[in-house]
Amino acid sequence: MLSKQANQFIIELKMYLMSKGKNDHEINSVIDELSDHLLQAEAARKNIKDIIGDSPRAYMKSIGQEMGFDIREFLILTPMTALLLIAYVCFSPAILGEFSLSEIGVFGVIAGIVLSLILYGFLLVRVLPKMFYSRWFYLIIGLAYLLLTGFFVLVYLFDKEPFFIATPLQNNLILLGCILIFIIWSLYSKIWTSIIIPIFISIGPIAERFIPENINEDPFYITLATIFSVLCLIVLFYFIFRNGKKNSVS
Amino acid sequence: MSTTSQMLKGLLEGSLLALIAKRETYGYEITEKLKEHHFAVVSEGSIYPVLIRLQKNNFVTAVQRQSPSGPKRKYYSITTEGQEELERFKQHWNKVSSGVSSLLEEEEK
Repeated sequence: MLSKQANQFIIELKMYLMSKGKNDHEINSVIDELSDHLLQAEAARKNIKDIIGDSPRAYMKSIGQEMGFDIREFLILTPMTALLLIAYVCFSPAILGEFSLSEIGVFGVIAGIVLSLILYGFLLVRVLPKMFYSRWFYLIIGLAYLLLTGFFVLVYLFDKEPFFIATPLQNNLILLGCILIFIIWSLYSKIWTSIIIPIFISIGPIAERFIPENINEDPFYITLATIFSVLCLIVLFYFIFRNGKKNSVS
Repeated sequence: MSTTSQMLKGLLEGSLLALIAKRETYGYEITEKLKEHHFAVVSEGSIYPVLIRLQKNNFVTAVQRQSPSGPKRKYYSITTEGQEELERFKQHWNKVSSGVSSLLEEEEK
């Protein structure tokens, strides 16, 4: 088994190469090759510095320079990521049957998407690789998510003068489009998050649309829902911290 | 970067081709062979950017097979173009090394 330091380097290298738009197949190939080398070197009691030199960053750069930029992947991934973010923003209003467009809304969403790409790009390359095995990994992703959600909520609050209000049919079509984007993204990336997150996002709007107003505004049910949400959060944090502890022990 | 390490990097490409030309081999084995020949590489991992370049230039081909240690192992073989490149490298090296040796010997006298 690789040492923690070697594992850390492998993760940093993978994230670095991904952030530079290198081909997935080439990345996996070089990662396998270096993992195999590090395993044998560590079994022979060699230090990681014997393999990658004094500067891991310089070594990553030297590998990256030899690998080509995967233009095909870039041309597919960039619009797909933008579509995914747009789908996240349109999903809830479409479920509620209240999809509309305003100037502030459109510009706000574009600014939000650019901000999301910059923030997550920065986290992916500079911050997250350093804390892959730490409990802070999930907390930082959560904080970034909270920050961006806050931004989109602000846009939503100022979004008052729509120039387009969707009809019920258009709302359903937008909803269908969003679901299709989530499924296609999930199948392409082979990660289920893009389906699981919308399921969580949809709980609120679905409840708001289908539960009768007298139940929706009943303080008893509001308190019950709040307690349930807090309990869910506590359980989530418990698992995150337990996971972080396990990893730091191993 | 020092002159020595620059020189070594230049020679590494030809030396890797020469090693791969002997028989199919993989990364860690290559670094062990380089050590046996007292070839002082900057760090063991510095062979990998060169191997990627050799593969990109079609001088070597690679196949991945399961290794006993776990991760897939990449085995390199030389191509016809690689053989030609190796011949060119040998000729250049002979010219350069004989020239430098003769110059240094003359200085010593």
